[in-house]
Amino acid sequence: MSGPRVDAKVVLLGKEYVGKTSLVERYVHQRFLVGPYQNTIGAAFVAKVIAVGDRAVTLGIWDTAGSERYEAMSRIYYRGARAAIVCYDLTDGSSFERAKFWVNELQTFEENCRIYLCGTKSDLLEEDRRRRGVDFHDVQDYADEIKAELFETSSKTGQSVDELFQKVAEDYVRFTAFQLMTEEKGGIDLSQKSSPYFYSCCHH
Amino acid sequence: MYFYLKHVKGDLSAPRRSRRKKMSLKSERRGIHVDQSELLCKKGCGYYGNPAWQGFCSKCWREEYHKARQKQIQEDWELAERLQREEEEAFASSHSTQGAQSLTFSKFEEKKTNEKTRKVTTVKKFFSASSRTGAKKVAQEKNLKQGQLGRERNADNILRDLKEIFTPSWELASPTEAEIQEAKAPSPSINRQASIETDRVSKEFIEFLKTYHKPGQDIYKQCKMFLEAMHHKRELSIEEQSECAQDFYQNVAEKLQTRWKVSPERVEKAMDQIEKYIMTRLYKYVFCPETTDDEKKDLVVQKRIRALHWVTPQMLCVPVNEDIPEVSDMVVKAITDIIEMDSKRVPRDKLACITKCSKHIFNAIKITKNEPASADDFLPTLIYIVLKGNPPRLQSNIQYITRFCNPSRLMTGEDGYYFTNLCCAVAFIEKLDAQSLNLSQEDFDRYMSGQTSPKKQESENWSPDVCLGVKQMYKNLDLLSQLNERQERIVSEAKKLERDLIDWTDGITKEVQDIVEKYPLEIKPKNQALAAIDSENVENDKLPPPLQPQVYAG
Repeated sequence: MSGPRVDAKVVLLGKEYVGKTSLVERYVHQRFLVGPYQNTIGAAFVAKVIAVGDRAVTLGIWDTAGSERYEAMSRIYYRGARAAIVCYDLTDGSSFERAKFWVNELQTFEENCRIYLCGTKSDLLEEDRRRRGVDFHDVQDYADEIKAELFETSSKTGQSVDELFQKVAEDYVRFTAFQLMTEEKGGIDLSQKSSPYFYSCCHH
Repeated sequence: MYFYLKHVKGDLSAPRRSRRKKMSLKSERRGIHVDQSELLCKKGCGYYGNPAWQGFCSKCWREEYHKARQKQIQEDWELAERLQREEEEAFASSHSTQGAQSLTFSKFEEKKTNEKTRKVTTVKKFFSASSRTGAKKVAQEKNLKQGQLGRERNADNILRDLKEIFTPSWELASPTEAEIQEAKAPSPSINRQASIETDRVSKEFIEFLKTYHKPGQDIYKQCKMFLEAMHHKRELSIEEQSECAQDFYQNVAEKLQTRWKVSPERVEKAMDQIEKYIMTRLYKYVFCPETTDDEKKDLVVQKRIRALHWVTPQMLCVPVNEDIPEVSDMVVKAITDIIEMDSKRVPRDKLACITKCSKHIFNAIKITKNEPASADDFLPTLIYIVLKGNPPRLQSNIQYITRFCNPSRLMTGEDGYYFTNLCCAVAFIEKLDAQSLNLSQEDFDRYMSGQTSPKKQESENWSPDVCLGVKQMYKNLDLLSQLNERQERIVSEAKKLERDLIDWTDGITKEVQDIVEKYPLEIKPKNQALAAIDSENVENDKLPPPLQPQVYAG
């Protein structure tokens, strides 16, 4: 019932129809389906185990509703997330403007959350260059500015999808390891001190 | 057996009363001045005591506490085992003919009379003992009886009663506490069921811990201590209590991992059981506590959802077609699950209800759309389900889960995901306005005030396979509203007529009055008039010229 243990929460943000669900579907099931889907009942939450070096990390991938009417609630979703994949449609300039909105929100309210910009539907550009609605260099500059990673993906062909999630997992391992190291430097075992349930006493 | 226990204890004591009794007995027995006992160690070792250590000095407290704890742990195990035995017996005898919860009436009666007689005898014994020999003797009797514990049931009962009087509250085992509390609360049948559940959970917990061997015992000890600590923290704000619980989860998990080297999977399992055990016991003190405004918020949300009864799936863009029987079946199941959440006591069970509800929603969407649901489909549908179901005490449940659920589960896992969605749904419902339903402000206001319902306009283009009765009902509703309209028109016309009539009479009256004022009717006395004519015209010179007498004369 309760599902597997999850190490890190990864939240997917982005306007409606930019392809958040397809991205997850491609990553988890290695497929891109146009017609009726067969086996899954929902792709809103997925737990996926990824190998990073000799460690296995379980990412809990949270899909979110992109419609503007739920914008006010998006903060509830990304609370406590270790990574956010902010998606935009490469053929739709307005979707990138919305992506900036989420980046701002994340930077304001969720400092510890790493941001990954993800342009979707890159296969449409292969077919027709003129359909590009978001300039690559503009986004790259923006990504540098906000210290985010940038990926241009296609859920249809699978381009850069695995790389994106692999990077998310690797960063998670790297940064939590770093955090643990810095915590240990303090040299105080907080777990012993903070427990009021073990009555300690000076008599022995 | 414990029915009886509860009963006696309920009679004897609201805990406050018993505590007072305990105090007076204690001072009598020891003969120590009350004010001094507050300063010195109660054991009389000469050191100063401390209220935090129940009036003992640190050393004596440690000894006392250690002893009491050991004893209590052992007794708990014994009690649990005994309960299990009895439960099984009772189950075997009652279940063969009846459902698990309902005993036949005669059996119930039998049990009740048993309770009564036993109660009478023990109470008698108790009083005779205390009146004859005084408190000290009872204390001795307690020690004496202790040897027979487990062999003689009645003795055990007295012992428990006495224990409650004599032992400091920190020494009381929490199952007993729970039972006392349960006996205190208003509805006996619910309590009985609740206490059955509490006992069942304890039993399962102990069974479960046996598989953990030594760490299991340690877990049990820690849980007991935590429950005691929480018992004393009942006055604190709910946020502080929540923090204690969260700290406790964290400490236990860490200890299991670092000291006992339990594998993460088994830690996870143990944590689930620990949560179940402690939250079953704490539930009634920390769920929707009086110190918070949770209840008020519940009512607000409930009222709000009621006011929004007119919201249709179309307005929310819900991708669910309830005309498909399978789908409407899923919708009903989802609603049942979300309503059921309130009946669970453990945060994790509540979460499981939300998850189950969500799975049904996913199924409904999948059948309708023929593709897996994304969050864009899921959230509106969940909102719709919440609006349709109006689950009881929604806010309290959300608060309770947030405060007392094991945080690792809540923040990251699948259950957490669905819970977050539910929080969003509630937040959306609270803030919902015309814009979020793509309605004009006028329409929204009209629907909110109940003047019209958007459903009425739709009744025409309903699909043919809708239930006939429902169709007829809507037709009738239409007719009724038409009739209502006509009636209103008639009433307003009638009022207008009435107004017109009143205006007309008023008008006539006014006209008449005007004329009367304009042409006042002056009736002069007859004689005088004649006299005036006949008299000499004294005032002739004042008259206007046409009335000069000369004219007549001429």
